Amino acid sequence: MDNSEVQARVKKVIARVLKVNEETIADHSNFIFDLGADSLQSVELVAAFEEEFDIEMAEDKALEVQTVADAVKFISQYLK
Amino acid sequence: MNYRNLTSSEISALENSGCTSRDWKNISVSENFSPAKIRNVNFNGEVFLGENVEINNVFNLAGYRIEDNVAIRNVDSLSVDGETTFGNGTKISVLNEGGGRELIMFDRLTSQIAYMLVTCRHDNAFVETAERFIHVYCESKKSSTGLIGRGTSISHCGIIKDVWIEGPAKIEGISCLSTGTILSSPEDQVKISTGVTAKHFIIQSGTIISDGALIDNCFIGQGVRIGKQYSAENSAFFSNCEGFHGEAVSIFAGPYTVTHHKSSLLIAAMFSFYNAGSGSNQSNHMYKLGPLHQGILERGSKTGSFSYMLWPSRVGAFSVVIGKHYTNFDAGDFPFSYINEEDGKSLLTPAMNMFTVGTRRDSQKWPARDRRKDPIRFDILNFDLFNPYIIGKIINGSNIMKELLEKASKEQEYVTYKGLHIKRLLLKTCGKYYEMAIKIFIGLQVIKKLEQSDKSLPAKEALKDNPSLFCESWVDAAGMLIPKANYDNLIKEVKAKKIDSIDGFITALKETASEYEESSWAWCANLIKTRFGAEPSGLSREQLVQIINDWKENSIKLNNMILKDAEKEFDQSSKIGFGVDGGADERDADFNNVRGTYADNKFVLELNKESKEITDLAEKLIGILT
Repeated sequence: MDNSEVQARVKKVIARVLKVNEETIADHSNFIFDLGADSLQSVELVAAFEEEFDIEMAEDKALEVQTVADAVKFISQYLK
Repeated sequence: MNYRNLTSSEISALENSGCTSRDWKNISVSENFSPAKIRNVNFNGEVFLGENVEINNVFNLAGYRIEDNVAIRNVDSLSVDGETTFGNGTKISVLNEGGGRELIMFDRLTSQIAYMLVTCRHDNAFVETAERFIHVYCESKKSSTGLIGRGTSISHCGIIKDVWIEGPAKIEGISCLSTGTILSSPEDQVKISTGVTAKHFIIQSGTIISDGALIDNCFIGQGVRIGKQYSAENSAFFSNCEGFHGEAVSIFAGPYTVTHHKSSLLIAAMFSFYNAGSGSNQSNHMYKLGPLHQGILERGSKTGSFSYMLWPSRVGAFSVVIGKHYTNFDAGDFPFSYINEEDGKSLLTPAMNMFTVGTRRDSQKWPARDRRKDPIRFDILNFDLFNPYIIGKIINGSNIMKELLEKASKEQEYVTYKGLHIKRLLLKTCGKYYEMAIKIFIGLQVIKKLEQSDKSLPAKEALKDNPSLFCESWVDAAGMLIPKANYDNLIKEVKAKKIDSIDGFITALKETASEYEESSWAWCANLIKTRFGAEPSGLSREQLVQIINDWKENSIKLNNMILKDAEKEFDQSSKIGFGVDGGADERDADFNNVRGTYADNKFVLELNKESKEITDLAEKLIGILT
């Protein structure tokens, strides 16, 4: 899976979980400060990424991911 | 103590000091009594006076034995009017406002005995037998003479009627104390002060009640603080509770129930290790056949500001309730949950509260804040965050989530369970979080056994367990964690009258409590057996290494997630309002000077240190495993 496909799917997941318009999500959008995620939604995002990409991420490291770009990078590690 | 009648010169001295008595023969005094410190006292009945007693300006004094070194100054009335049990034997309607779970108060009541009496209404024979012991005990307290115990000080008070006061209590400026027992002790004094009104009560040692508190039909255990106009009726507060400003009606406030805010009403519920946010409220306005008010908040729960719950509902241990909940829900199977409200639904997120700073801080502070200094501690308390009761619930909750996930379709946003909505996506994730707790628990138990053992012993010897102590199900009896089999056995022994008195009941509970560590280990050993296919003493070195590594990895992961939570308290949104008239530099400097920095925060430093110690200990233990 190439980077742009990961990015597109990450944005779709974010839009669905945070109930925001996909077009408003920029590469460097911060989940909390730009997209308004609360702590529960941060956990939900991790769960949604895992389901979308059929991967299992390290719980503590996954919660450190704060931006769209970081998420793409982090998820890509598991897809190699 | 031997008492004698007053001599004529002593009567003259008393009369010259403004004292009166209907009949001076009613006044008995100790051998070395001196009238020098007795002034302006109207004796209106039998009174016994010890040595070095000072009594000034008491309008009415009757029916009391006043022990040595007591000072009584400026009191309207201090009397016992006929036979009384001093509050012992008074029934209070806890947990259910409409009655049916009445608790009989007595001065040696413990949170465990109260829990059993209140919750075991399915077993009438037990309740009736236990109540008979209590009745016998209360009858033994019956007297028409009250006590002002050694070293007690009573000053500037209104009316004190039918109150038994063990010394050395300090009572100052109260409005009215009526029909009660104050069980002060030399090691842990009871203090009751300005404006307090208390009627029908028991107060145990180390407790302070102050500042206009209104107490009616209440049991108040050891080391409790009640004040700032708190109002409580038909309620029991066990060790280390705190009630300020707010109101309690028909509550069973287990140990460490804390409510500090003016607008909080706690009603008809059972709590322990609980913290009520401002405006916490519960009720049931939908009853038609009388109130059915009954809520259970298991240990360690919190309710957020202006949260509301509809009774009956149950909140799992160490959970947080946020928002207003208009459905009856049961979250007892899901410890460490967030229960918040979303579009009118009660939304459950299991395990989320495991990773919060608050949970970690609470679990550390409770043992450090046990105020009880009395050598006799009535309530039995177990503080372990991860224990067989909680881990048993976690295993059960995990299984429920697995079943819910299997039955759910991918299109579903929510699944429902006992009045709660759970986001389908989170079922798997929350299960993983629960698994972390299980691995940490197993590791902690194994490490404890290895560390406690003689270091020269091989691990298999150190990890031997006693399978006869294993019991799958546990009970959290108002602070005491107890295998269900032992709990049931206590009930059986009471019914069979093998336990035949209150003292016997208290002793039996203490004996059971002394087996906590070994029973926990037996429970953990069984869990190890189901997971590893061998008893702990039969585990291979590789399996033990795996247990220790799992403990290390998950403990550090848990600490990292808590640190992540702590980080939020230093992020941009936490700085809103800081540097109020300046720019970003002033904001950051203002924040750092007021709140400190993340890197320097004591809690953060301690958690980082703990993670380092976990790594070191794991390496050390793996190194010495044979």
